[in-house]
Amino acid sequence: MQKIEAIIQPSKLDAVKDALVEAGISGITIFEARGHGRQKGHTEFYRGREYAVDLLPKVKLELVVSDEMKDKAVDAIINVARTGRIGDGKIFVSRVDEAIRIRNDERGEIAL
Amino acid sequence: MSGVTERGAYERRMAEIRGLFESNGDGLRAIAARSALVDELVLRFWSDEVKTAPALGKGIAVCAIGGYGRGHLFPCSDVDLLFCIERGMEKPAKEPIRRLSQSLWDCGLQVSLATRMPGDCERLDEDNPEFALSLLDLRWLGGDEAVFFRLQDKSLAKLRSRDGRAIGVALARLTRERHAKFGDTLFHLEPNIKDSPGGLRDVNACQWLHGLRTGKRLILAGTAGQPSAAMEPKPVDPVHGDLLPGGELRDAVAFLAAVRCFLHYRHERDDNTLDWEAQDAASQQRIGLPVRTGERVDAAYWMRVYFRHARVIDKRLLREAETSGLQVEMPTAVRRYRAPDAAGFQVKSGVLELEPISAGGVDVALEPEIVLAAFRAMAESGASLSRSTEDRIVRAIPLLSANLEEGPGLWRGLAAILTGRQAGHALRAMHSLGLLELILPEFHGIDALVIRDAYHRYTVDEHTFVLIDTLHGMAAQPVVDRGKGRGRDGGSDGVREPRRELEEWRVRFGAILAELQNPALLFLASLLHDTGKGRVGESHAAESARLAQSVLQRLEMDAYDSGQVMRLIETHLEMSAAIRRDIFDAETVRAFAGRVQTHESLRMLTLFTYADIAAVHPDALTPWKAESLWRLYMATANQLDRSVDEERVHTRASTGGTGLGRKGEKIARVLALLPGREPQMEQFLEGFPERYVSTRSAETMLQHFEMAQRFAQDPFQMIFHHGATQSGSVVNEITLVTPDRPRLFAAMTAALAAWGMNVVTADAFANQAGVVVDTFRFTDTFRTLELNESERDRFLASMRDLVAGRSSVEKMLSGRRRPRRRAPRVAVETRIEFDETASSHSTLLQVITQDVYGLLRAISATLSDLGYNVEVALVDTEGEMAIDVFYLTSEGKRLTEEQEAELRVALLSAIEKNSR
Repeated sequence: MQKIEAIIQPSKLDAVKDALVEAGISGITIFEARGHGRQKGHTEFYRGREYAVDLLPKVKLELVVSDEMKDKAVDAIINVARTGRIGDGKIFVSRVDEAIRIRNDERGEIAL
Repeated sequence: MSGVTERGAYERRMAEIRGLFESNGDGLRAIAARSALVDELVLRFWSDEVKTAPALGKGIAVCAIGGYGRGHLFPCSDVDLLFCIERGMEKPAKEPIRRLSQSLWDCGLQVSLATRMPGDCERLDEDNPEFALSLLDLRWLGGDEAVFFRLQDKSLAKLRSRDGRAIGVALARLTRERHAKFGDTLFHLEPNIKDSPGGLRDVNACQWLHGLRTGKRLILAGTAGQPSAAMEPKPVDPVHGDLLPGGELRDAVAFLAAVRCFLHYRHERDDNTLDWEAQDAASQQRIGLPVRTGERVDAAYWMRVYFRHARVIDKRLLREAETSGLQVEMPTAVRRYRAPDAAGFQVKSGVLELEPISAGGVDVALEPEIVLAAFRAMAESGASLSRSTEDRIVRAIPLLSANLEEGPGLWRGLAAILTGRQAGHALRAMHSLGLLELILPEFHGIDALVIRDAYHRYTVDEHTFVLIDTLHGMAAQPVVDRGKGRGRDGGSDGVREPRRELEEWRVRFGAILAELQNPALLFLASLLHDTGKGRVGESHAAESARLAQSVLQRLEMDAYDSGQVMRLIETHLEMSAAIRRDIFDAETVRAFAGRVQTHESLRMLTLFTYADIAAVHPDALTPWKAESLWRLYMATANQLDRSVDEERVHTRASTGGTGLGRKGEKIARVLALLPGREPQMEQFLEGFPERYVSTRSAETMLQHFEMAQRFAQDPFQMIFHHGATQSGSVVNEITLVTPDRPRLFAAMTAALAAWGMNVVTADAFANQAGVVVDTFRFTDTFRTLELNESERDRFLASMRDLVAGRSSVEKMLSGRRRPRRRAPRVAVETRIEFDETASSHSTLLQVITQDVYGLLRAISATLSDLGYNVEVALVDTEGEMAIDVFYLTSEGKRLTEEQEAELRVALLSAIEKNSR
């Protein structure tokens, strides 16, 4: 099993969710996040006042999928979230040892 | 006999009770029947023990407490038993009591069992007030009767006399805490019918308070005036109860009892959440309704019946608490309030009381102005109506309806309520008494309306009041948290606490509230924004706007104010939608700016959106959302100033319905007002900035067009509108329509200054043919026009003469006394900025400085003296900050760098000179 963590633009969330559902993945956890990578903060002026935009709004998705589904999920996210501009986000993939459904103690991929 | 063998019989009897409930729907009878069944079971098990060990027949009383003590055992409720034992019986009783408990569990009952000596029950245990409360429902089941009477007549009598008050105080605290978990409102989309305000626990609280105060139980009779046999006081019960009075409270209790039985059977456990699926099923089966046969009822209708009953219980609890001198609801922050002389009411110790009915039978409750003033006092002070005043207003509603006059007077009264800090408190009271629907029948459609939405927690009306509470809360002083001493960027881990962050956002957004020109418009739009949810239509925003239109007409609000309210209602979902898009994308911002059009509309929509999200659910507004909202607000504010000159009307494209969207529709509407003269109207509109079209009604544009047709008679066409008093100030409006000529804008500002007028906002637009439409909204510093109605015609004539150069502005200015200078509360540093990218053919100048009298005249005179032409002007005031934007040309071209430098110096000098 693989855990996929994706940090994407908030405006892409709905489209990414749809793409994942279409790819056969329905279990997703979503977090409101803030941060920056190479897309550094900047300063904005508003009616004569200055505001620092140091951390930018992002959305973080977490999903755990079977090994076979990993590439499908990653491709679905990339296809939709990519604009080609700085700030499109990142995807991190890591191995998951166990999954347990609390309700009935099912374990492994069946619990996903 | 054991629980295992008895289980089958118990389950059969339970099935019979269920069958009876499903056929007659009588919840009170069902819970009484289960209570009687459990009584039998307990007594049988106990008598088996006594047969085995006859010594147990003395010194032990078996009692029911809590809900079981009241004879109310819902299908899956716990069974609360108390074994009251004399000293010396602890050891012999221990094992038989354990066996009895085991047998009951084996039967499938959830048993909570307590063993106490009578003396243990004489004092309130501060850590466990619930036990003292459960003793108030004590009922003898069997065993040693003498022990029971010792407990009841001696120990509990002591408890009541010594700690009765403390128990009441603890009950009030527990009730407040329980209500707080539900946001202090009964209007939940999925209420818990036991614990929510207005639920069955509140009925118990009423009974306990009544018992503590009178020493008598408040007994709930059966439905339809037919007391259930099992509900009548037991002959052994020495405390004769007060029978709950008939009518709406008894109906409410019967309804909730039926619903709770239904939920227990449905969920097969003690789960009292009335979720959407349960609402559907209950409405389908007409649970709790007097007539149980016939067509299924709509779930929304059924929920309204639920809320009506819950309101009755809520109100009864408040009255019981008031009679007991206890507070069971979170107190509103009551401020000292002194009613004006002859107000018709008094406010004392946070309670508002109408003056008594006079000897001649005159009742001030029939006077709409006095009643509205009373609610204004509630909104300003947080005071609550006395119960007798509530009753009088309810009785007066039919006659108030006949006496109520619509129009500006009603709007003034309503605006004063809406802008009071405790407006939500006053509006809820008005709503509950039927007065709000009397003034705004449009509100009736959302009364206790459940709209199924995964995010909302409250009914539509309550959501509206929470939104208004949130808006007022934004104006409160910052809450200083001295606990952790973290800076804005948080501790060393860089993580800021959400609560602290939200408080920072509240303060930041709250500053925008102080900048609104007329906050009452925001509150009125907020009150009406969801009224369309009560109707079937394509979109509730459009339906709400349609309903608001008729409200605004009845209140006779002027075109500017009603336009602001309408625009906010129509667009009230758009900012929430926009923050889900890419707020850093210029096109998102441009499109959104195109919808809001003006800074005032943007400010109102931003505040509205913040409060609307917060009112959905206590956790709906996160720092993340607040930050996104703020970014969009900033970006849009900047965009609004920088796009006006470029986006102009081209009527052929506009009426063709492409590109301009609603602006195109509006142009088509204005053309439709002039059958046969469309080409002339098209010519008039050609080349105006799109903002002109967006911010004027079709009727107003038609009026400007007609004025332009009269240039041959007088090229200086003006209209003046004297505004209504709002929040202590009057904002007037004057519009000049004239062929363009040099120094025009400067001449208007000078003429207004000569009359002592202070410009709040202004805009100046011109079409392709060189027709100028300049509109100024201004306050009257010396109240000349407000106090002397006859001066208004002279003012208009004088303005024409001054602008036309027929009389001398300078001469009039020299004789004008300047208003007294006040030290600014917030010092604003002057900033002058130029932008070459905002327009392809003009230079944008933005001046931000302290707003002082004569400022606009000083700036426009400087522009004019240096020979620059004002193509577009947008003048705005935010609190003490003036933000003036001009699109300038010099001989038809952008300004050069040298000209900009020269202008900067000249403006700084003029602003400094004017401020002295």
